[in-house]
This record gives sequence, structure tokens and C-alpha cells, in this order.
Amino acid sequence: MAKLTWTLDDLKFQLNSHPLIKGWVITEENTYRRERYFLLEKNRLATDQDRSIRARTVSARIFVKLSKHGRQGEITKKLFFTLNLKEQIESAIEAALQTDHQEWSLPLEIPRNLQQVFTIDPDMAEDLNGVTEKLTARIADTVQKPRKSTFNSAELFLSVLDRELHLSNGLTHRSSQSRIYTEAAFSYEKTLKDGSKASDEYLNSHWAVHLNQLPIEKIFEESAHRAEQSLEVTKPKTGKYPVLIDSEVLSTLLNGFVSQLWASNAYHGLPFIKRDQELIPDAIGDRISLTLDPSLPFGADTTALSNQGLPQIPLKLVDQNRVIETATDKQFGDYLGTQPNTVRGNLVIEPGQLSHQELTQSAPQVIEVLQFSGLFADPNTGTFSSEIRLAKLYDNQTGMISYIKGGSLSGSIRENFRGLKLSNSVIQRSHFSTEQPQGQGYFGPEFALITEVSIVG
Amino acid sequence: MSHSTSTPNRAPLSTDLQPLRQYLSSLLPLLEADPHWYVSIYFERKSSKTYSVNMKQSQVTDQLVSGIVFRIYDGITLFEEATDDFDMDRLKKFALDFTKRVEKSERSNQAILRPYAPPTWVQRLAPRLETEITSQIPKNVTSTTPVHFGIRFSQDPFQLGTEDHIKKLSTLLDRCKQIAKQGGLSSSDLTYLVCRQSVAREESIFIDRESNLSQTLYRLALTVISMSGGERTFFRTGGLGGLEAVEIRDSEISQILRDLKSLKSADRLLPGKYRVLFGPEITGVLAHEAFGHSQEGDTCARGRSKAWELHKSGETVGNTQATILNNPALFENGGKPYAAWGSYFFDEEGWLAQEQVLLDQGKLLAPMTNLTSAIRLGIPRTANGKRESWASGVYTRQTNTYFSPGDQTLDSLMKQLGDGYLALHPAGGMEDPKGMGIQVGISYLYEIKNGKPTGRILKGPAGGDIQLTGYTPDVLNSIIGKSKIDDKTSENDNSRFPHNDVGGCGKYHKEFVYAGCGGPYLLLDQVILG
Repeated sequence: MAKLTWTLDDLKFQLNSHPLIKGWVITEENTYRRERYFLLEKNRLATDQDRSIRARTVSARIFVKLSKHGRQGEITKKLFFTLNLKEQIESAIEAALQTDHQEWSLPLEIPRNLQQVFTIDPDMAEDLNGVTEKLTARIADTVQKPRKSTFNSAELFLSVLDRELHLSNGLTHRSSQSRIYTEAAFSYEKTLKDGSKASDEYLNSHWAVHLNQLPIEKIFEESAHRAEQSLEVTKPKTGKYPVLIDSEVLSTLLNGFVSQLWASNAYHGLPFIKRDQELIPDAIGDRISLTLDPSLPFGADTTALSNQGLPQIPLKLVDQNRVIETATDKQFGDYLGTQPNTVRGNLVIEPGQLSHQELTQSAPQVIEVLQFSGLFADPNTGTFSSEIRLAKLYDNQTGMISYIKGGSLSGSIRENFRGLKLSNSVIQRSHFSTEQPQGQGYFGPEFALITEVSIVG
Repeated sequence: MSHSTSTPNRAPLSTDLQPLRQYLSSLLPLLEADPHWYVSIYFERKSSKTYSVNMKQSQVTDQLVSGIVFRIYDGITLFEEATDDFDMDRLKKFALDFTKRVEKSERSNQAILRPYAPPTWVQRLAPRLETEITSQIPKNVTSTTPVHFGIRFSQDPFQLGTEDHIKKLSTLLDRCKQIAKQGGLSSSDLTYLVCRQSVAREESIFIDRESNLSQTLYRLALTVISMSGGERTFFRTGGLGGLEAVEIRDSEISQILRDLKSLKSADRLLPGKYRVLFGPEITGVLAHEAFGHSQEGDTCARGRSKAWELHKSGETVGNTQATILNNPALFENGGKPYAAWGSYFFDEEGWLAQEQVLLDQGKLLAPMTNLTSAIRLGIPRTANGKRESWASGVYTRQTNTYFSPGDQTLDSLMKQLGDGYLALHPAGGMEDPKGMGIQVGISYLYEIKNGKPTGRILKGPAGGDIQLTGYTPDVLNSIIGKSKIDDKTSENDNSRFPHNDVGGCGKYHKEFVYAGCGGPYLLLDQVILG
């Protein structure tokens, strides 16, 4: 039966003493997570599933010497405490020796006096179960409020991650992060003139790092309200429109598109926007200024250190639509002969001049997308497309506001952001996914107006 | 399905898991602190290696994900306690603490009690199951008999080491470069090329008071991505079995490179309504997003799917061509001798895999379920309880979702298409179970005139993907033809199941799981493309 057979110190000792290993990065993560799935039963909140998860993972990125000049091998491997350590390392080295990478090395210097960053909610760190109970009670209260729409379901996921980073240069760095996910779905049903019934729903989801960033009542209220609006809809008329998108969409689009400012793209021959080039060619609207800021409190990608052991400080990448820096980690800095800088951080976009109302009134007709069905964005081309789940049409000639559902929208950052107008109100957003170990943080305009967007009804 | 007379190779359960299996069985009585509880234990270990060769480097990633989930259903709520700490003493304490947590949990007086008793082996074997499943169940099986299901394979994927895999991918990369050159794509035009292969061994154990199951699946996938600037084409294949699941022909490489060249100067589609012929992969996305997601029992139990109401009312939501199935027991794939991507022998809640018709000629049947949704809806369980990993919760999820085949050849469908578009390459999709909207992404379209390809390719209106959107019943009523599985022959189909593509699926924008989807060629008229 399985027993723990080794410690992190054993791992470091074995990696350090192996003649073929030239460097390594070890990441250990301890996660504690609480999850609840709610639905409605007899008009009260009921818990369908209640979960508790404890996980401890160790991952090692190991660099090995190759006989070929200027080349090295490497492997990223998850290690298991209950399996024999020596065997795991030997199999990793054997595999790494078959790979072929350009040589690079971890930083020689260990950073001192790292900036203090705020990444964990203290209440969650202290008592995750207590917080789970409190939030459950708030959700139960919110669900009980009388409304026209019906509560369908909700989810609440809370987690605390403790992370240790160890590098072969001697660096050890500890960090923690709290993560919160909640969603609420309400539906609305009405009887039509012919006696038949129509119904629709609205799902609202929200990620946060700190409990202060979790407006549960607002999330549930908005879901309930928009479910009602979902039945007062028409299809859009085919054409090209100015479209108001919210910060969630803007964050998704820009977080993908800015990969074209990463040195890794330059090295691999992927689309890359060089320094001094325009981010949006021939822009005539608001010029985007964009900073990668890993220092902002409780951002999804707030961190003091990169995974390669370099201090992370705010880095302005784009100033008034002009690329002034590109993001380079140590590996690609070595490859391209450039200095490494910041590669982690929250995306910070400087706000514009106009209010939400001014943006919706800035053209004879403006469509404000409240929710896309599935926004698919290609970071390489900057193109995006989706069905419209719910949108508002502002007809400024008649003063009428109506709702839209259905039809598809397709756009391109390079083309439709040329006449960009950013809101003067700002917002913070977080997003986490299992595909990426770090989150996507956004601090910037709450809304953006893009122009000449193709919509088919 | 063709069966060899000799005993097939099957993936065994790793020997180091046998003691753990025994130990987990011994914990079951500890967890059953209350006789009314339904207790189960799920263990998984997924180890995978991904090999990748591009124009600059070759690399390998070695992943291992493993954990245990203790589960107690108390008649109201399903409680789970999950850990990746396999130390025997701590596991025992973990189990005991868990029962205390469940005992202490608050229950509303108004909660409806819905007790559950697991099926016996006699009940499990009553439905019609695939012989790939029944042939692996020992005679006189009892609740304590360890039953193992191993995936069938011809070429052992673990006979090759890292060096062999890297060499194979390097050769493939060179083949791609050579074919690109022959096709007139200069080296400066081919800016990025990567060949990637993953090989995984996925093992799981499920134990409750009536069964003790294990399964081992070998999951393989091969992807080739080619890029020219921002333009991108790809080929992917894979399935469950041996190396026979990851073969690629020169004609398939030629196709993606030819398309890449064409995409560089492709025109943009004018948004509108068109006649379009879907290839099997896009047919699958339509099935998955249509009824599909709306037929997931937990979505129905949450009051979030219109399909549940329509199933009860008997209203039709498509024409007679609209028949959609979900089937985790696809142990052949469009006539190929390996299992489809979304297959398994039992789901993560221990339910045996079986074919299920979700939509029968436009009429909705009962939805797929996981344990809690079946109990809440009062309908039969199906093998659709899946989770992203041991660390995530169970939802009702799709396995392989596909349209039933038709009776036409591809040639006859092309003639019927006349002037329109052929769509072969998917680019995602999205469901709208309550509002009944649908979104099916298409990477690009081939123009067809008089039933023949013109050689012209079209991108979306903004230069990206194309989206088919609409009201799901309208889209399903617009189907005017379906091909056979063996789409080139005028004879009857020899294959039992249509091809299912390698894919993944998110639920409510998260919870990623593997899912296959497919079907025949599907001809649709007057659908919205934009």
C-alpha cells in the first residue's frame, strides 16, 4: 500500500547531484477547495452536491546537457510522492535526453527584497469552510427574494492555493492565492397570445480573488433581470454596426491578442508585433495604452516573481497604440539576445473619455452586447466571432431601446478596433481556467465601442 | 464490427494498483456509517506523455494525475471528499472525518428524501450491452468480484520509447515540409509547423456495495498544425487503442497545406443564408450542441433546458432526418478498428456504457443522466457521469454524440448541393439549452458549383471563423440529406457506427472533458452563415 517515499529536499538533492542535469525548476502546489452546486427545491435553495478537495502536486522542469553544441534537452514532469523518486527522475532524464532545444540558462542571481504583493483573501486563508457557509447563507437569502423570474441553479467554488517555487540557482519563493467562482442561472416564462408558453434563461458567472470582489446579490439580480429581458427580443437585422462590448469581452480579446507582443512568438515564427509598430494599424479612435502589471492587489495574475525566477514589475507594452516594449522571459531573452523583463501580470488598459451613455448615443444605432453565446477569438489573426445571446439595440433616432437575441457577429481587432472608444469608467476582472496555471487579470475600461462590426440576423 | 478470432490484446490494470483496490474496498464499510446512505469510491490515474516537434525544437511533457474520491449520497445531497494522498493511515482518517462531515451537515426539514440503491449484477446485465463489455465480465460475477475492462489494441503504444516517438514526429515534420514544397508553399510561407502526439494510460476503479470495477484505456492523439502568418490549418486524429489510432496519410497532409496556401488569398463570405454540406466532424459539432447539451440530465434537473419540457410534451424539434445518439460504447470508429475518442466501459460513477437515442426523427427521448440528475428527474441512469479530473465534480456529460447515417453517397449529396459550400473543419460551438439557439463554428468553407469544388476557399466575414447560428429546431428541420457511413459505396453500410472526431467539451464555460462527436455527411438548406 502506498506510503510517502520522499520529500522535496530529497528531490532537490537528487536533481543537484545528477551529472546530466544542468538546471531545474520545481513547483509544489497545495490546494484546498470547497464546492457547492445549488438548485431550487420546494422554492428553497437546495444543495445538489457538496465537495471538498485536497490536492498536493509537484512538477519539475528539468534541463539536461546534450552532446550537441548550443543545445540542451528538457522535460516537464509531474512527480508523485507515492512513487519511487529515483525511478521517476531517471525516466524523466531518459526522455529529456531525446529532446532538442536551444541552450539557455536560469538567472544566476537570486532576487532580493521582492515587492510585497497581495494575492490571498485573509478570511479564506483562515477558514475556508466558514466562508463557504457564510456565502451559502447569502445565496440562500438572495434566492428567497420575490422576483418575476425563477431561480434555476447556482455554483460556488472556493479555493486556496499555496505554492512554492524552487530553482536550481538556490531560489525558493512561497506564494498563496485565493480563487472564487460563482454562477447563477435564472429563467423567465411567459404566456404568449396564442396560449403557448415561452421561456428563456440567463447564466451569470463571476471569478474573483478577494471576497470584496464578489457582489453575490448583484450577480444574482442581474441574472434574474436579464432572464426577463431574454423574452422581449427580436433578431438583429443583417448589417454593420457600432457594437458596445463589456470588459469581459475586451479582456478576453486583448489577453489573447497581446500574445503577439511576446518574444516566444518572435522565436517560433508566430505573428509578432515589433517595437515601434502600431498595435492597431491606422487607428483613428482611442489609442490603446496597455501595461502588464503584476503588482496590483488581488489581481488574477498578481505575482512578485516569474516562473523562471525573475522579479516582475509593471511593464508598459503599448503607449497610445505604439508598441514600446515586448515581453521577454529569460529563455526567449537568451534565444533572441535581448534582456528579459516582465512576462506575468494583469492587463491594465487606460480608460477613455466617454460615459456608458455617451457611448450608446455615439451613433444613430448602437448594439450593446450583454452576452455572447460562445466567443471564439483567434489570437493569431485577432479575429473573433459568436452568436449573440443577448444584446440591446439603442436606436438613437427614435429613442427606442430594444433587445436582440440570435444572429452571429464577426469581427477583427485589427479592423474593428480602428475607431475604438473606451469608457471612462473602469473595472477589475479575473478569470481562471484549468488550461493555464495562472489567471488572467484585467484592470481597465468597463466598456468599449468598436465599429463596422458585421452582424447577420 | 470485424472481430478477430484470436484473443485480442487488452490493456491490463497496473499491478501496483491491485493492493490499493483491495484497500479501498475495505474502506467501504467505514463510509457506510448510515445504512440509508449510498456510498461509492472512485479512483483514477491518468498518465500521459505528449511529444512535440516543431521547426525549432522537440519536446516532451510527462503528466500524471491521480486521486481518490469518496462519495456519500444521503438521499438529498451528494457529498464528495477527494484527495491525492494515498497514505493508508491518512486515507482511513480521511474517510472517517468525511462521514462525520456528512453526519453534521445541516438538512432542511423541507428537503425531499430520494433514497438510492445501486443495481445488482443481474440488473446491470439485463439491458443489451456491447460484447466488448459483456465478454470481459466473468461468469457468476458477484458484488465482490473484481471486474476489469481493458481497451483492445493492435500495436502496443508503450512499446515505443521517447526516442522512437520523437523520431517518428521528426520524420512526419520532414514529410510535411516536403509535401509543402511540392504543393508550391515556399519555406517562407510555411512560418510554423508542429507535429504533436500524446499517449495516455487512463486507469480507474469504481467500488460500491454491488460492484467492484476497473478499466484501463489507452488514449492516443496526433495533431499537425501548419501556419502561414496568422492563417492556420490543422489535422487531428486519435482514439482509444494502439498506434493504429494515429495514422496520417500523405493526402491528408496535402489537404491542410493546400488549404493553408489558399487561405492566404481567400475571400470573405458575405453573411447570409446558404445551402451547405457538413463533413462528419461538423455534423458531430451540430449533434453535440443541439441535443447534445440540451439533453444533459443535470441541465434538465436544474430547470435549464427546454428539451425536458419538449420531451414531456412530445413536440417535434426536427424533421425525420434528425436522429441523434450518444454512445460511450463505440469500440470501432467509422469502420476503423479502434474505439472512438469519447468511449469507455463505464462512467466515473460506475455505470456501464450503452448506446442511447436522444432524438428520434425529430422527437426528443429521455435525456442522458448522471447519478443525481437521474434521481431528481426520476428517469433511468445512463453512463454519462463524468468529471474533468478526480479533483472536479461530476456532471452529466456527453461521450460520443452523432447523427445516425442516411442512405446517400457523398457524390449524390454533392450533386444535390449544387451551388453552395462544403464545410469540413470545425471551429468550436456553443449550446443554448433554454433559449434553443445554436452556434457551430467552421474554420473555412470550400465553394461548390454544380456539385464540384471550384478550388475557392472562403473565410468568415471578418477574416476569421464562420459561424452557423439559428434556432435549433429550424436548423434540424433544414436537413435535406444524409450520407451512409461508407459514403463512397452504393452498397449497404458495413460499418455499424459513424466516424467520431477527437474533441473536447466545456460545460457552462468550464469543466473540460474529452468528447467525441461525428456522423455522416449532412446536407442543410437555407442555414444562416456569418
